[in-house]
Amino acid sequence: MSNIIMDEVINNLPENIYQILKLNKIEKKDLLIAAKGDLDSDGNYGASWVLATATDMIVATEKSLIYHIEDIEDLSNEKVIAGGLLVATIAGLDSILCSFSNTCARDFGFFVKLFKKLKEGKELSPEDFEDNEMPMFCPKCRTRYDDPARKICPKCFDKRAIFLRVMSYLPKYKIELFFMLLCMFASSILNIAIPYIGGNILFDKVLKAGGEYYGEIVFFIMLMFVIKLVATAVSIIYGRINSSLTARVIFDLKTEIFGALQRLSLSFYNNNQTGTLMNNVNGDAMHLQYFFHDGAPYFIVNFITMVGIFVVMITMNWKLALITILPIPIIIYILKGFFPKLLVMFNRMFRRGGNLNSIINDSLNGSRVVKAFGKEASEVSRFSKTNDGVYQINMDLGQMVQTAFPLLYLMMGFSGLIVWGYGSWLVVNGEMTFGSLITFTGYGAMLIGPLQFMTQITQWWSDCMNSASRIFEIMDTVPEVEEKSDAIRIPSIKGNVEIKDVSFGYEPNNPVLHNLNFKVNSGEMIGIVGHSGAGKSTLTNIITRLYDVKEGAINIDGINIKDLSLKDLHSQIGMVLQETFLFIGTVAENIAYAKPEATMKEIIEAAKVANAHDFILELPEGYDTIIGSRGKNFSGGEKQRISIARAVLLNPNILILDEATASLDTETEKLIQEALEKLIKGRTTFAIAHRLSTLRNADRLVVIEKGKIEELGTHEELIRSKGTYYKLLQKQKEALKLQGVS
Amino acid sequence: MNEIKYITSEQGEFYKNTGGFLGLKIGEKGYPRVSLVRSFPYTHLHNFISIRDKENNEIGIIEDILTFPENIIELFNEELNRRYFLPIIKNIYSVKEEYGYSYWNVLTDLGNKKFTIRRDNYSFINVKDNRVMVIDVDGNRYEISDYEELDSKSYRLIELML
Repeated sequence: MSNIIMDEVINNLPENIYQILKLNKIEKKDLLIAAKGDLDSDGNYGASWVLATATDMIVATEKSLIYHIEDIEDLSNEKVIAGGLLVATIAGLDSILCSFSNTCARDFGFFVKLFKKLKEGKELSPEDFEDNEMPMFCPKCRTRYDDPARKICPKCFDKRAIFLRVMSYLPKYKIELFFMLLCMFASSILNIAIPYIGGNILFDKVLKAGGEYYGEIVFFIMLMFVIKLVATAVSIIYGRINSSLTARVIFDLKTEIFGALQRLSLSFYNNNQTGTLMNNVNGDAMHLQYFFHDGAPYFIVNFITMVGIFVVMITMNWKLALITILPIPIIIYILKGFFPKLLVMFNRMFRRGGNLNSIINDSLNGSRVVKAFGKEASEVSRFSKTNDGVYQINMDLGQMVQTAFPLLYLMMGFSGLIVWGYGSWLVVNGEMTFGSLITFTGYGAMLIGPLQFMTQITQWWSDCMNSASRIFEIMDTVPEVEEKSDAIRIPSIKGNVEIKDVSFGYEPNNPVLHNLNFKVNSGEMIGIVGHSGAGKSTLTNIITRLYDVKEGAINIDGINIKDLSLKDLHSQIGMVLQETFLFIGTVAENIAYAKPEATMKEIIEAAKVANAHDFILELPEGYDTIIGSRGKNFSGGEKQRISIARAVLLNPNILILDEATASLDTETEKLIQEALEKLIKGRTTFAIAHRLSTLRNADRLVVIEKGKIEELGTHEELIRSKGTYYKLLQKQKEALKLQGVS
Repeated sequence: MNEIKYITSEQGEFYKNTGGFLGLKIGEKGYPRVSLVRSFPYTHLHNFISIRDKENNEIGIIEDILTFPENIIELFNEELNRRYFLPIIKNIYSVKEEYGYSYWNVLTDLGNKKFTIRRDNYSFINVKDNRVMVIDVDGNRYEISDYEELDSKSYRLIELML
């Protein structure tokens, strides 16, 4: 056997289970598949095991039971809210074998899948075991990933590699980098020089009788002026280079991220976990921006400054240097404890402020409902409750800041006093000049900032590397739906579609479609009928290859769509969906979305076919009307007709209509129905509709129930067979009659 | 048709079948396997429990399961606990933040447990007042019924997330 998870389960069975196996003459090598659960039979955390040989299945909880596989009619993995049950059907009766939490759901799903193969009498091949093996484990240390959606191993997470990759965006800008580093160095040196000049030189050499430059005040003022000038110039140059460099690096990075996002398959977007990853992508890019703009440069400047100051202070007077440095760790310790608290309070303030804004928004947007139900007073009280929270946190924060900061300053002042005290004593005893004392106090104050920065750097560094790792993860994700390198080009699809033994689910072990089989001829219109959640839209998703099927095949004109060029496939399948989406841009641009090179004539023709031309011309800006966040808002029916025009212009050979006329009023529906009828002519069409009357032109109908094809035939055939379609039709007729009466 | 069909202890006879599932008899009609679904899983644990057949069609609703005999309530609780598997966190030994995840080691009412949560807005949800739901990377849920009732060490570990 070749599956890490199962091997581990089998090799680590408790002794008593080995004994039971022995008693039943089962040897370890006979065990083919295994799964370990994490709950005992009372539902507490514990353990349970299911094992199977080619002929028997063993379930071990507190007691062990052995079943003959041939007696088990069905084995299934039933999902409950946060876990699952392994259920066996034996002699027509469903029995719970064991339960487990979500942590083990995948392993049990895999067990059931392989069990079914065993039950069919098939031999398990190494490929059968591959499914969930490698990606779940860290390839380096073999630890199981905590989060199956993000392959990050806490033991092997290589921050250095990520850091180097972040830095790899920089070499493009070598010259800028060189000047920036030069400026940083200069700025650090000047920072160190200023207190020295203001202390040692001013007091000891300029103002002191007998000093080297005694009385040369003009020279000294000039010197100070020049230094300030240079310092300012350096900081301007540095700031300008830094800003442009950061902006460019982040621009490069964001372009790459957006490119990666577009390349990814739909499944990536729909996956909850990866969805979260994407929501954060902009925030992550911001983190990196801070890294380039503030973090890294400050780190370098602060480091040079700190080392420089230490060296100068120790050379001047090591005793006073020690006294200056001593209180700093205490101050930093206090700051380290205080700042996270402050940060939490600030976060809380922002969050509560945000909540308050949403309530205001909610209530104002819903003002019609509020007024209609006379709920003004309760809205005010809802607002007051949240507002009270905002008031409370503002007050707490204000009081905390007003108390803590003066105390902190007092502390700093006190440590300054010690330096002054001891320094003055040294000056009085002639061990040190007054100027040096002034320089020391200057340096003491300068050290606090950089040191505090250094204490936060670990947290800041790991945040930054996390962001970078998430960004790189998106960039590195291989799209699930990928074009083969030798993809077949098919410039003109005829539209023969064959669905062959197709089973499909969005999540592993949770199939939505089961073993579908049917053929559609070129130009034929197929109506897809079924209850909500039956799998109708899923069927269209796999025909258009937004998702790849794992079992079975979908052939278009006799070629498996996985072998076809994606561009050819998508450019020849048109879709009109219930939820239309118009992009920011003009009406004309939206119609031409799938064919940007379309001429004005083509656009107008398409709009005419879609019954959209007339309402577009009623707009003062006609086809140039801007749609979008600040543009014109269209009604549902108008948007729908624009999206039909989009499909008309694409002139697809295969057309998918997914509830294209739902939720529209009768008049608009008529217009759209008309437009669709024109559009459908001569194309292979898959139309999903709840209202069966809209499918009256369909050549054949497929009825899907719970992911299976229940009926397939023409309208007349299905009526004659008096099955699900007939019943649905009768129900809708009755409903229409009722509407007519009222 | 849309009226609620209530099942009372007089009409409905619940029993545990040999397979471990709950069965129901109402008059002549028998359902060998039914499941219980809470209408208000956060706020009303005993009220408005929907009884569903194997095909997930509603048979009826129990307004308050506590009106049933003791032994039946036990069966209900067993079934509900299995469905709404929700360990209650009693004590937090450690929470370690790293690499965008936080690694928890806790004591729950069902035993000790180590789990990992993502550091995002969906994994640590303040449901109401002092009640918190923690959702780990596998989608398991854990409840902190009242964070102010936690001992001070446990509280300090999650304070920054509240």
